[in-house]
Amino acid sequence: MSAPQTKDAAARNLIQWHFTVEPELREVYRMDDEGSLEEPIRLLEVNAASVPTGSIEPFGFSPTEEIPFRTVIAEITPEELETVRSHPEALPEGWSLSRAERFIRPQSA
Amino acid sequence: MPSREAWAIGFAAQSRSDWYVYGRLTADDQIPACHELHYLQMACEKIAKAYRCRDTTASLEDLLKRHVGFAKFIGSFLASPSIKEAYRGRDAQLRQVAKLARALAREIEKLAPAVDRAGSPENAEYPWEAGDEVIPPCQYSYPRLSLLTSPGGRTLLKLVARAIQDFQPPSPPP
Repeated sequence: MSAPQTKDAAARNLIQWHFTVEPELREVYRMDDEGSLEEPIRLLEVNAASVPTGSIEPFGFSPTEEIPFRTVIAEITPEELETVRSHPEALPEGWSLSRAERFIRPQSA
Repeated sequence: MPSREAWAIGFAAQSRSDWYVYGRLTADDQIPACHELHYLQMACEKIAKAYRCRDTTASLEDLLKRHVGFAKFIGSFLASPSIKEAYRGRDAQLRQVAKLARALAREIEKLAPAVDRAGSPENAEYPWEAGDEVIPPCQYSYPRLSLLTSPGGRTLLKLVARAIQDFQPPSPPP
């Protein structure tokens, strides 16, 4: 498989794969500016299989050949998403649900 | 205060060392299970902190003060580009691995005495009460972690090893 050439293609590839391998993944919010190559791909993933902790903990990962961009991923439960909606200040600095691109689970996944 | 990068490298190095000791302890049947599990829990918590330090949006002070959940980490790590590469063409297998890995990661996290002490007092360090008895960790068999020796459990351990091996410190700011 050839590597996606753009950050946007890499992010979409990664998100699509997440829906394939995570049956409980409900939706994904992409928090980064797709035009900025310096900024990592930032994903807030709403996964019913996650452990509720009451906090948002993003972890950073290195690029690979297929996803040649730094990636930051935080996982929350659907209930934690509701809390974030009512308390957006709980999101990490610079993250915003209203500015994020939202991906919902495809019917086929 | 030392940089975020320095802390990340420090946590990764200590995790690697804890992981090494964990391996040494598992090889000796005479040593009670609590000791190896203690080192496993510490290795897992510290590698999670190392990856957490790469999130440049968080305050470093908060990162150092707050408990970082290994269970949350493993969820994100399973979604990382590194795992995507490692499991290429094996999506169904990864789905199975992920389910057990999440469950076991939560049990490993609970080995820290500060986590869920009321609901799950069976930690790897300090005695706890059970009815009228006091149970020392060195006399406990940790049945909920027996799956660590199953094929799925060994896969989780391989994931931990991969997380430690893959870790590269964050790039310094331009």
